[in-house]
This record gives sequence, C-alpha cells and structure tokens, in this order.
Amino acid sequence: MLIYTFRRLAEMILTLFIIATATFFLLAAVPGDPISDRVEKLPTQIRHNMYAKYGLNKPLLQRYVITMKGLAVGNFGESIIYPGQTVQSILHDKLPASARLGIQQMVLGITIGLGLGIIAAMKKNTWIDYSIITAAILLISIPHLIFGLLLQKMFAGNLGWFPVIGWPKGKDLWTGGWEYTILPTLTGCFAYIASYTRLLKTSMLDVVNQDYILTAESKGISKARVVLKHVLRNSMIPIITNLPMSIAMCITGSFFIERIFSIPGIGMYYVTSVNGRDLPLIMGQTVIISAIYVTVIFITDVLYTIVDPRIQIQGGRK
Amino acid sequence: MELTKISFKKYNGKRLNAEELSGYSATYWKDVWRRLMVNPTAMLSLAALVIIIILVIIGPLISGHDISSINPRRANLNPSLENWFGTDNLGRDLFTRVWYGARASIIVALVCTLIQTVTGCLYGGVMAYFGGWVDEVLMRIIEVMTSMPTLLITILTMMVLGNGMVALLVAMSVTSWCGTARLIRGQVMQLREAEYVLAAVALGASPFWVILKHLIPNTFGLLMLTIATSIPDYIFTEAGLSFLGIGLQPPNTSLGVLISIGQQTMDFFPIQLLVPGLILCTIVLAFNLLGDGLRDALDPRMRQ
Repeated sequence: MLIYTFRRLAEMILTLFIIATATFFLLAAVPGDPISDRVEKLPTQIRHNMYAKYGLNKPLLQRYVITMKGLAVGNFGESIIYPGQTVQSILHDKLPASARLGIQQMVLGITIGLGLGIIAAMKKNTWIDYSIITAAILLISIPHLIFGLLLQKMFAGNLGWFPVIGWPKGKDLWTGGWEYTILPTLTGCFAYIASYTRLLKTSMLDVVNQDYILTAESKGISKARVVLKHVLRNSMIPIITNLPMSIAMCITGSFFIERIFSIPGIGMYYVTSVNGRDLPLIMGQTVIISAIYVTVIFITDVLYTIVDPRIQIQGGRK
Repeated sequence: MELTKISFKKYNGKRLNAEELSGYSATYWKDVWRRLMVNPTAMLSLAALVIIIILVIIGPLISGHDISSINPRRANLNPSLENWFGTDNLGRDLFTRVWYGARASIIVALVCTLIQTVTGCLYGGVMAYFGGWVDEVLMRIIEVMTSMPTLLITILTMMVLGNGMVALLVAMSVTSWCGTARLIRGQVMQLREAEYVLAAVALGASPFWVILKHLIPNTFGLLMLTIATSIPDYIFTEAGLSFLGIGLQPPNTSLGVLISIGQQTMDFFPIQLLVPGLILCTIVLAFNLLGDGLRDALDPRMRQ
C-alpha cells in the first residue's frame, strides 16, 4: 500500500513536470509576443527594458530553465496584463471564489444526486423512478450557460430575489454573502445531480442482484441496513471513478458560470489572460489547475484501495 | 411456449435444404434495430433529429431571407409571418441565422466525433493488439494528456492556432480521442484471443489488417454509443467556447455565437436568446435520448 502510494506520488510529480514543459513550449509557439502590442509606440530603450523585465530577451531554453526553477519554488513571475502583481498574488486572490463555488456546487449536487439515485433504485420501475430519470436526462441536456442565463433572468432580473451579479468579498469570502452564491451554485449543481443520479441507480441495481445481498437479506437484516451497509458501499466504486471527471467539470464548468455571474474567480482570469497573451499568468494558472486535478486523481486512486480492498492485492488499478 | 399441432406442420417443400429449413435468423444488428424500433423515446428523438437535419439543410433557403443582409429599419422584430423567428439587432432574419448556426455546430460536432473515433480506434487497437511495452508507453501518453482538464488544453490550442474553423476542430479533438482509445483497448484486449483472429494471423494477415478488419468492427456497438454521446458534448463545448469569446467569432455563425449575441440583448429581446438556446437543447436532448435507447438496444441485459 505504502509503495503503491509512493509510486503514484512520483508519477504525479512527473506528470506535472511534463504538463508544465508542454505548456511552456506550446505558449512559446504562439505567434508574436505578449508585450509587442503594448510597447510598439514606446522608445527603443523602454521597449528593451520591458522585454528584459519579463526575461523575454533571453533564449528560449534559458527562459524554460528560469520558469521551471520558479515553478519548483512556487514563484510564477509577474503578470503582464496586471503590471505590478505577481501571478501568485493574483491566484491567491482569485482561487477562493472559484474554490467556494466549486465546493458548494459539488457538495449540493452530489448529495442530491446520490439521494435521488438511491430513491430511483429502491423504487425501480415505478413512476417515481421514471420521473427522476427523465428529469435527469432533461437536466443533462441543458448546457450550463443557458441554464445560468435563464436562472439569472428569472430570479435575479424579473423577480429580484437575488443579486444579478457579484460575489462576496472580504470577511464574507467563505461563509457570508449567501444570496450571491445561490444562483451560481444552482446553475452548476444540476449537472452533478443529473449524472450522479443515473450513475448510482445503475450501479446499485448491479449490486442488488449479487449473491451477497441475498445472503444478507436471508440472514434477516433489515432492509435499511442492507441498503446502507451492503448495497451502498459496493455501489460506490463507479461513483469514485467518476469523481476526477467531476472535479474537472467543476473547475472548467465554472469558467462559464463565472462569466455569466461576473464572479472574480480563476476561470474568468484564465480567459482574460489567454486573450491578453499573458504568458506568466497562463502558465501559473495552467499548472495550478492541473496540480489540483492531478492531486484529486491521486486521492481517488488511494481512496479506491480503501473502498475496494480487492484492488490493493492486485497492486494498483488496471 | 405452447406446442400445438400447428407447430409440427409437415414441411412439404420440394427439396430439402437445411439452410432454408432453419427459421428466420436475425443478425445482431437486425436485432439491435428491432429493439430500437420498439423504443418510442428513441424513435421520437430520431424523428426529431431527422427534422432538425432537414431544417439545417433547407432552412436557410425556405425563409426567403439572406443570412447577412442588414436592414436597420427592421431590427429586433418579434416573430411574424415575414420573419418567422424575428430579427436580430441588425435586422437580419433570425430563422435563417439559427439554421446556419445549427449547421456549423452540427458540422463541428460531426467532424470532431469522426476524428475522435478514427484516432481512438487506431490508437486503442494498436495499444491492445501489440500489448507489452507499446501498450505501456502509449498508455502513459494518454495518462499525461488526460491529467489536464480538457477545456484548458482546448483553450491553449485555440490560442496557438488562432480563431477559426480549423483551429476549433483541432483544439476540440486534441484530447477527446483518449477516452475512445481506452474503451477500444479494453474491448480489443478481450477480442484478441478469439479464434478468428488466430485464423487471420495464421493466414498471414498483417497486424493492421487484423485490427481494422477483425477487431474494430467487433467493437462497433460501443463505438456507436460513444458517437451518440460525444456529439452533444461537442455541441456544448463549441457553444461554451464561443460564449467565452474563444471559439468561433462573428461573422462566423454557430449556435454558441448566436447565444452569446442573444445574451447581450437578453433583457429587452429574450427571443434572440431563447430561439438558439432551445434549438441547442433540442439537438442535445435528442442525441442523449437516442444514446440511451441505443444503450438499451445494444445490450438488453443493461436494461433495468
């Protein structure tokens, strides 16, 4: 188990290294350079100074070494479109908003999704089951952005129950300003509800037909206990497999939600920095987002071995 | 089954041919089609898709309006007999534009799905067929590619290649084939040991022949399912990218472009957002329902 964890950890770091390298060279291949638009009209000396400030006058490989050294110690350099701000300070400011939105969406969405999934599986082939599954398919077919725009128009625009745009700041950053977060959270959570409901229902119905459930029932264990202790635990594997995808969905799905509700999160700044060719900022955000994602995959892999001890014996996921 | 005398009616054919004697034998695909036919939801969505595709092809022609002719005096009209879905802020006919946009969205989705399927099949097939270190190396590449959220790679690729149709197609297909490759790999691993593969190899068939002619065709069921579920994903992504200002941009049209234009005037002329939005949802819903029906039809055991 320990060896497996260490091996996965080493792989994770290697993966991040490859991602950073690939991103660097991909960005280097972008035609033109990020500050030429801004400095064209300036005197030559100032232009040279600008290039020197961001190290853009150095050869490519040297820049690569500098960038990678910086990444290793958590120094991402200075942003170009937001002069005077380091990338890490921007990330430090913007990550909490995205993180809160993401966590709220996932917690709400997965909880409701799993709950509905259990109900649908228990009441299978009744009208309850059919209406839950139909609703899930309907919900999955409405893109985030249309859903968000509709919610915004109905509840914030027409009814005026919630603020149209904005996000809690300052001391409200994590626990206050709920009225701002309700609509974005709802927008995001429906995708989770839809996918987790269907996933858990299918998975539970697979498990219900297994022999050990019959054994448990024949031992006279109460229905609730069979579902909670035997069915649910064994149905969790597809759910855990799906988690990394959900995190990715949560990070990148928030790009649209942040745009609709003008939330100052990492998604909004990612797009701005891409449009502004802000190389250090793009690099920093890509690496951070990938790092979060890779860490989640890593945790999932370890969780696997805890939920399903069979995997541990075989020494890793195949 | 109840056995009556009729079941044992004497065969009075002239010559005895065992092939003719045997009952009607349905191939797997006939069976799948039959099961799909009796699924009302799947058939309804198939019909909806056919109607949408017809409209996408002939829609712009039957409206009697040009896609780009501007008429400021007829701007922001509500639906009428003259303009069936109303007009946009420049007085262009929305009916024409919506079907043009849907055409672009569907073409993008289809081409990307094609790239994804072909690349995924070849890659997955090679991975599983050769196994060993080839498999190991190719799998590692997939693992690295999939350990970055897809949208990031798409956005970065769009940035390198610039805005445009080709760039969009490349950007959306960069990593999408990884999932298909994994799927095909799993399938081919199972099929590799089959006798017909051994027979083909014994007859001197090259690996690629075996992969293309024997292995991939046998994974067709799962592939169809992947295709049905990929298309709505691409339509979503395309719309999202255009909405973020990264995908196709005006004067190009797609459902995403129309939605993001509609969003700007949403408070005053909601129809301009609703029409492309509804069509997008209908297309995606139809594909999802069809995919669900297909899943049941391909593998009846899965039916719950």
